[in-house]
Amino acid sequence: MNIWSFLVKRLLLMVIVLFGVSCIVFFIAHVIPADPVGALVGGNAPPEVVDRMRAKLGYDQPIAIQFVRFITGAVRGDFGISIKTNNPVMEDIRNYFPATMELALVAIVISVFLGVVLGVLSAVHRNRLVDHFSRVFSILGVSMPVFWIGLLLILLFYYKLDWLPGGGRLDFFSYPPDRITGMYLLDSLLTGNWEAFKDAFLHILLPAFVLGYNSTASIARITRSSMLEVLKQDYIRTAKSKGLRRRLVIYRHGLRNALIPTVTIIGLVFGGLLEGAVLTETVFSWPGLGRYITAGLLSLDYPAVMGGTLYIAFIYSLANLIVDFLYAILDPRMRT
Amino acid sequence: MKRTALVLVFVLLLSFAAFSAKIPSDTVVIAANTGIFITLDPGGVYEVLPGKVVDACYAKLVDLKVENETLVPRLVLAEKLDISEDGMTYTFTLKDDVKFSNGDPVTVDDMIWTVKRFLKMGKSAVWLLESIGINLENMDQTIQKVGERGVSFTFDKPYAQNIVLGILTNQFTGVINAKVALEHEEDGDMGEAWLADHSAGAGPYVLRQWERNNLILLEANPYYFEGEPAIKRIMIRDVPEASNQRLLVEKGDADVGWNIPAQLLEEMEGNPDLHIVTVPGHGNEYVAMNCSYGPLQDPKVRLAIKWAIDYEGVVDQIMGGYALLVQGFINKGYFGYVPENPFQQNIAKAKQLLAEAGYPNGFEIELMTSTTDERKAEAQKVQADLALVGIKANIVIQQASQMYAKYRQQGHQLIIAGWGNDYPDPDNLAQAHANYRANQLAWRNAWYDDWAADITEAAQIEPDPEVRKQMYRDLTFYWYDNGPFALMYQTIEKWPVRNELKGFEEAAFGYGMVFDFTKLYK
Repeated sequence: MNIWSFLVKRLLLMVIVLFGVSCIVFFIAHVIPADPVGALVGGNAPPEVVDRMRAKLGYDQPIAIQFVRFITGAVRGDFGISIKTNNPVMEDIRNYFPATMELALVAIVISVFLGVVLGVLSAVHRNRLVDHFSRVFSILGVSMPVFWIGLLLILLFYYKLDWLPGGGRLDFFSYPPDRITGMYLLDSLLTGNWEAFKDAFLHILLPAFVLGYNSTASIARITRSSMLEVLKQDYIRTAKSKGLRRRLVIYRHGLRNALIPTVTIIGLVFGGLLEGAVLTETVFSWPGLGRYITAGLLSLDYPAVMGGTLYIAFIYSLANLIVDFLYAILDPRMRT
Repeated sequence: MKRTALVLVFVLLLSFAAFSAKIPSDTVVIAANTGIFITLDPGGVYEVLPGKVVDACYAKLVDLKVENETLVPRLVLAEKLDISEDGMTYTFTLKDDVKFSNGDPVTVDDMIWTVKRFLKMGKSAVWLLESIGINLENMDQTIQKVGERGVSFTFDKPYAQNIVLGILTNQFTGVINAKVALEHEEDGDMGEAWLADHSAGAGPYVLRQWERNNLILLEANPYYFEGEPAIKRIMIRDVPEASNQRLLVEKGDADVGWNIPAQLLEEMEGNPDLHIVTVPGHGNEYVAMNCSYGPLQDPKVRLAIKWAIDYEGVVDQIMGGYALLVQGFINKGYFGYVPENPFQQNIAKAKQLLAEAGYPNGFEIELMTSTTDERKAEAQKVQADLALVGIKANIVIQQASQMYAKYRQQGHQLIIAGWGNDYPDPDNLAQAHANYRANQLAWRNAWYDDWAADITEAAQIEPDPEVRKQMYRDLTFYWYDNGPFALMYQTIEKWPVRNELKGFEEAAFGYGMVFDFTKLYK
């Protein structure tokens, strides 16, 4: 099979997956025994007002019609109007998504860096202090809830030590860089606004670390075991015996080969990062898509929740598609 | 070499990381959860804090002021109010030296355009004006221009003045610069999209920026007709987590925390850099009884429940003292407030009443409430109190919107819920709590009492304030004996405030209805 038919096949699969996600998102939203109109108008509203609003929003229609409307809209990238912000959901997503994307990208950089370094160190120094540390660190990362570790780190680095800011994307009194992508780090670099870059960088460190901590742990575990596997191979012994320096053996001969499973896990954890953003963004007052979805959930803003969730699913499948595609290029065995 | 470079980078990073940028003395930073902000358009806003932000940007026809701890209306944009003999037409004459924030003069045409625009938009708050007889259909007759500087409103009944003026203190009389709004009109929306996050008003502040879920920035309006306010910039930062708000305030990066629950406030009380400000709120919390359900049909059973509840325990243990022990439906701080609280826990009396009603061994009943921690704790407390008199209450916790849907259909037995008020007049409260014909709480609890309904309706149009006050007093005592509510407390609004920020208490009194940013200074 050539690379293009592989791509077409994967694209078709992606469409099916997205359709499935739309169905689930829609029906979960409508199965929940809650009344979005009631939530919108509040507890004081008399029944006439509730009915008037229900008709206005189209929630008095049969569920099948609402579903068809949702699907046909979603295909065109139209998720309807958010009940709460009164904007088209797609426009809201455009506003909020760059903040989430930026956070996820920095988180992945941090977790790949930390994860690979820890993984390699603990494989090389197996059962020594650094290995034990790395294991404890990983277990904590997998088991500590994001909001809890987030609050603890804010307490330490902001309140006690005063090293890092306590939330938000920028300092209270600074202005964001001119918008190009909506990602402050990138925009401030592109416009040469160093002040904003420094500010945005300091603000993103904690939330990105917290968001990426869980993935750091997975990456470290995977890297460690695959590194251990590789270090047992004959070619490593050969490299060692021909007198190459230890560092060269580990990094050039060992790590390169050990990284393949790590690449897989990076594709997988990326979805987790987008998903984890929902909690991280609330704790760190980060105005991204996660916050948007949380706010939407709390006020039963169905179009916002359905649109936001579907969009994240779309980005996730896109990321996986890219990873698979890269694989297919790198390793012909995968094209089946 | 490499290692040294790394260390250097790290040291550099830390060196510019010294934080704590102190707040300038002409700026107030508020840490608040702005998740509820929908729009800052005076024609569309209905929520509490957003409404106060809109108030800061738009001068209204009438606003509220505090007199002897009571909220009373005061004319703002109008210099004179004439009321017709029949009490149904109110003519306001506008002051002639008022300017918008861009320097344009405020005209009576702007005022009329603003109110009609509100009716055309038909958002959540529109029922307020409809309830006194002005609506989309009749607005060209009921809202008229009088001379060069006058505007008249004609209502369908001679409502008590306090009601009419109370309703007109809502954001929809905050005059909009029609010219500016229309310059930004899109598809005939009367500037709705633009005004959602821009302002064109004559209030003390101008909305400079609203980045959703991040920041709202107000700047002083140099043209404000009552003088430029002392605080030049107000920043409302979106901080959804209450514990983060707390850290920001304790550290001095925010002056005020807006949504801090009682439990966290208690922990902050010891900090010498800040003080806690409390003012009476505009909501209440009650146990309501569906009068169409089994034992609750008997007024004696309802009285027994009222005598079984430990009201002080609810206020002290569950609310940590951050609530007011008020048992009547008229809030403290309102015209007509009744200070007597007749009920306290009296198990013997409650048991006797139950026995008289034919339930010496009590009965089993469902107690519904919503998911907040406070409500759950209240439900457990009421359950324990009722158990003391032999009533076995089974708690049912529901999502708020679901609970209200059931409540609206009289589908409950006992319910713990609350009421938030829209304008500071007892009428609004009496309609809800005592008049079943208003289709509100009294109706939801099937309390079809014509005496209470009649007196509520009569008090609404009683011109003499003293007579009117007495009517509400009589109604309250009748309601104590017969009504379907055991009112547990009136809410309190509470904030931790940095000591640098002065005038907060005066600014905040009446919060919910009013917040006067111009009273703040540093």
